[in-house]
Amino acid sequence: MSEHEAVERFVEDGDSVYVGYTSVAYGLTHEIIRQKRRNLECLGGSVGPQATLLFMAGCSNRVRSGYIAGALRPGAVTEMMNDGRLQFEDYSNQAIALMLMAGALGIPFIPTRSFLGTDYLSPEYQEHPGGIPGYKKWEVMDSPFDGQKVVLLPALKPDVAILHAHRADEDGNVQLWGHMGDAKWAFWAAKKPIVSVEEIVSRDVIRADPGRTVVPGFRVAAVVHMPWGAHPSPFVGHYDADYAFHAKEMSHIGQAEGYEAFAAEWIHGVEDRADYIRKYVDTFGKDALDAFRADTGPWPEPDVSYAHASHLRFRMPEKDAP
Amino acid sequence: MSDDYTLAELMCVVAAREMPQTGVVMLGMGLPVLAGTLAKLMHAPGISLCTEVGAFDWAPAPDVTRAPVGIHDLILNDGSAMVGDMVDALGSLLMGGNVDVGVLGAAQMDRFGNLNALCLGDYLNPERRLGGTGGNTEIACLAKRVLSIMPQERRRFVPRVDFNTSPGYIDGPGARRTAGLAPQGPNRVVSTFGVFGFDTPDGGESGSCEMVLEAVFPNMAPDVVQIETGWELRVSDNVAEIAPPTDEELALLRRLDPHHFYLTPGRY
Repeated sequence: MSEHEAVERFVEDGDSVYVGYTSVAYGLTHEIIRQKRRNLECLGGSVGPQATLLFMAGCSNRVRSGYIAGALRPGAVTEMMNDGRLQFEDYSNQAIALMLMAGALGIPFIPTRSFLGTDYLSPEYQEHPGGIPGYKKWEVMDSPFDGQKVVLLPALKPDVAILHAHRADEDGNVQLWGHMGDAKWAFWAAKKPIVSVEEIVSRDVIRADPGRTVVPGFRVAAVVHMPWGAHPSPFVGHYDADYAFHAKEMSHIGQAEGYEAFAAEWIHGVEDRADYIRKYVDTFGKDALDAFRADTGPWPEPDVSYAHASHLRFRMPEKDAP
Repeated sequence: MSDDYTLAELMCVVAAREMPQTGVVMLGMGLPVLAGTLAKLMHAPGISLCTEVGAFDWAPAPDVTRAPVGIHDLILNDGSAMVGDMVDALGSLLMGGNVDVGVLGAAQMDRFGNLNALCLGDYLNPERRLGGTGGNTEIACLAKRVLSIMPQERRRFVPRVDFNTSPGYIDGPGARRTAGLAPQGPNRVVSTFGVFGFDTPDGGESGSCEMVLEAVFPNMAPDVVQIETGWELRVSDNVAEIAPPTDEELALLRRLDPHHFYLTPGRY
């Protein structure tokens, strides 16, 4: 499926969208902006510049997260948070991961022992400027089993999760490896996971190594074949972070003019991710792109075997009589 | 011994020296990653470096060209004993009680070792919003001990953090227990001026639970540390002087930060 079709069919105005911090689906993010979705909510333990793009584009007006990279420096994102254009609720990395896990498990809430003793729980901060109206953020209680104090967090079930992964087969089985933040639970919690992948492979490749599948095809809404789909974010085994691109092209996306300039050139100025990469090569040269391809490999290729005995024996052979 | 170093460099070197020799160390964002990598390669090869993103027991190659640039750097996949996700790292590992030392930085710290990574000023009308806590909160709540790394400035060392994202001893003896948290410590702080402990023999149950200056950097006097501290600082009866960085420590530190991602030359 093309990225255009995936976003057109599966991302609707008003959807909550997991955007994540690892496995960043930049290509899908740009497509959402091209298709001018509105009133989206960004979710993720930490949300990076891809969320800043969605805020600046007017696609997203709400965020629940533990870290908002766009708020790190004063600028349009903090202004939007201050004047109510961007509603927010502050959580933490662990909280969002557990809330996604609860959503995936189909339970209404999940307890944590984080947040105890912090100002997050202060009564005076439970309603705050820019907060989500009428939202119950958490509840402190004593465990009915041993009396231990815990904080109950509500389950998160995003409408959509956009993620970038290594590979998928024709059935939509998705494989992803490496440290992965809260991505795995987002695949399972989201109603409509949309996954861009570096490679489409045959069923045999997936089924020969099923331990690396993070979500089976029947739980995936759409798979888009999209090499370089995480650029300029890093993607293990393929390419590292393109810090030069961040510094040169994206350092001012938190200001209106800087955002407009970036979007005009790299989002609206291209048709899709393949076109974006062509433009990158035309602009900076092939060498610039190749410079941060994954090239280390001090470790032997992992030799993963799922072999088993082809014939099971349920009875021991009779011993010969002495 | 080299005398050509910045205070920020010495802060990282001393933070590396303060790491335990063994045990599980969870590195927060920023300087903890640099200090942890230095410790692993130099003073403490036996520690297991872990991140909230999901790297477990990362063992950098001896000739590694840089420390991870942030905790989601792909280099953390290379040589880890296990890679998993945030529920593994902040759930099973941390909340399950397996992290011996959490290493943290933040924008502010107060006399009880509480940290603030969320906003400056009143949360309801902030002077400045920051990125947010990430995993800082749960590491401060749940690690058995915390080592904080923080440049010594009066605007950072405040009597009371503007927003307590990450509890130390909260507001004194017994406060952690009242809040529902386990005892913690002995916690430590390394700044650009010296090293601090806390006045509590039992992880927050008794004692004043306030920060205590225990050692100073070369040519640094306790009354100078007081100037850059926003409350009346407790000072140990015998303040030690910290040895300057060795040439080996400095060379390795600089090799690990080749792009000055962590330490801007000339700052501090």
